[in-house]
Amino acid sequence: MKFLIAEDELDLQQSIVTYLEKDANICEVASDFHEALEKVELYDYDVIILDINLITGSGLEVLKALKKGKKSAGVIIISANNSLDDKLEGLDLGADDYLTKPFHLAELNSRIKAVLRRGKFGGDETIEFNEIKINTKSRTAYIDDVPLTLTRKEYDLLVFFVTNQGRVLSKEIIAEHLWGDDSDLIDNFDFIYVHINNLRKKMTGETSKYIKTAYGSGYKFINH
Amino acid sequence: MSKQQKPVKLLRKASKIFLFISGILMIVSTVALYFYTKNLLQDEVEEELFSTEARIESSLKENNQAFSLPPVIEVVEILDLKTEFLKDTLIFDPSQNEDEVFRELSTFKIINGKNYRITVRNLVVESKDILIAIVISYFIIILLTLLFLFYFNVEGNRKLWIPFFENLEAMKVFSVKSENPIELVESNILEFQELSTEISILTNQVRDDYQNLKQFTEDVSHELQTPLAIMQAKIENIINTNAIDENQYLLFSSLQQDIQRLKQLNKRLILLTKIENNLFVNIAEIDISKRIEKTAFNFRELFNVDIIFDESQSLNVSMDPYLAEVLCNNLISNAVKHSSKQESILVACTQNSLIISNLGEEPIENPEKLFNRFYRESKSNQSTGLGLAIVKRICDLYEFKVDYQFQDSRHLFSIIFK
Repeated sequence: MKFLIAEDELDLQQSIVTYLEKDANICEVASDFHEALEKVELYDYDVIILDINLITGSGLEVLKALKKGKKSAGVIIISANNSLDDKLEGLDLGADDYLTKPFHLAELNSRIKAVLRRGKFGGDETIEFNEIKINTKSRTAYIDDVPLTLTRKEYDLLVFFVTNQGRVLSKEIIAEHLWGDDSDLIDNFDFIYVHINNLRKKMTGETSKYIKTAYGSGYKFINH
Repeated sequence: MSKQQKPVKLLRKASKIFLFISGILMIVSTVALYFYTKNLLQDEVEEELFSTEARIESSLKENNQAFSLPPVIEVVEILDLKTEFLKDTLIFDPSQNEDEVFRELSTFKIINGKNYRITVRNLVVESKDILIAIVISYFIIILLTLLFLFYFNVEGNRKLWIPFFENLEAMKVFSVKSENPIELVESNILEFQELSTEISILTNQVRDDYQNLKQFTEDVSHELQTPLAIMQAKIENIINTNAIDENQYLLFSSLQQDIQRLKQLNKRLILLTKIENNLFVNIAEIDISKRIEKTAFNFRELFNVDIIFDESQSLNVSMDPYLAEVLCNNLISNAVKHSSKQESILVACTQNSLIISNLGEEPIENPEKLFNRFYRESKSNQSTGLGLAIVKRICDLYEFKVDYQFQDSRHLFSIIFK
């Protein structure tokens, strides 16, 4: 997959690149408004990660240029401003998703995968991993074509794991993914273990072993 | 003296002083006039008595014959001479058929070798009537004058002070949060002009400071988001490098928690500022009961807590949908945070109120500070300390009444909607 990361904070830009390149993706970068505009007009990307406040201009202008050029790239806006108006304007202009800084890279990765699924497979939204198959439209997971009875949170967890395979997911990252950050912090992450253990129990046979413990308190979803 | 006096209205006070001084002036001047006129009249009477006496005396000298016209004139031959005297005396007046006061002058003279006592009298009644007439007319005139002056004084004062009172009203309704500068009435009175100028300068300063402070909070919070994002992203890449051991991982994981805390704090500060800046203008009809059920469902699912709630009673409130969500979330998460998993959280709705309660050992120490920013009863809880402050702000925004009580070993939070 080919991504464009239009972000003027170079540290953040490079961190995103490092994280995304692990899946053998090609990441190009744009560090200011003009570079972003130029690259968007010249090249095709699968997904563009677009900072809304680029130093020399607004990311929304880049988005407008992109849509004008009838490019099919998925767009995820990242912004330091979580105002609803910005979000709505971005989505109105045709962005596929909106993330407020600061976000976890795993969360960004998960959102990118979701955008790709929706774009590429034209409605047939499925994720496959060995014997696991997930239909993201009907929100059901199958192992060897046998449907699993998962709660909402267990399903979310499974999708999050599969889309971030090979990455270490700390309980903080998982907690925020499941919980969002709308509620005041609950500093007890025990609830994560409960949901993961339940998920493991429901994933019959060998598949439960995909969820591995990393560094004692984190998790990693990985092929044997 | 120690007791503070009840404040008096300016115009009333001015009128009171005017009336008081006028009253004193009126009484004193009337009394003075009374005595002065009385003296004047008496002098007049006495002068007349003396001149009558002189005429009688000269007539006696010429005619050598004593005559009398009682009670007005009496000429009597006597043996011994005395010194002349003036006095008031009561004499029966047959024409009036009653005793009348007379002013009497008695002189003793030797005329043509004979000793005479000449007594001349004058009726006082007449002069007394004049006196009374003068005093009463004076009193009426001065009373009318003063009433007239009083009316003009009050009216004049009222007109004079109009700019002052209008500006005072403007200041009463002024709020530092208001968007527009204070509107003051112009006046051509120097002191009022100066007062208006000073008020304008002060209020503008206060408004600017307030705006700057609010903007500053929001700016700082927004500026913090990017460095936090960088820190978070770097940590995530580090834990994915395979180059760290378990202890280092724990450190990074706890760093993630700290960043998470900062994120929460930031987000809530921005929310608070936005509420204060009145940026939530969407109003929709929200069923709080449904909202609570949704929130409760999430909490039950995530944390396996027991939240008992009967959603059959609907509770419709007009407010911003996002703020309604925040309100429910903050109240329930507050209850969840402060109770253990075995205990149930009770939520109840009526037609216009919401009550959320959880078990507790003892009441909150400082309930009046409970809704303050960053107020915590214990350090053990890693909350942002803004959850209830936000609840309060939202309630203030829509004029809901939020209250805390401790009853039957339960912390009770109630909101009465309008």
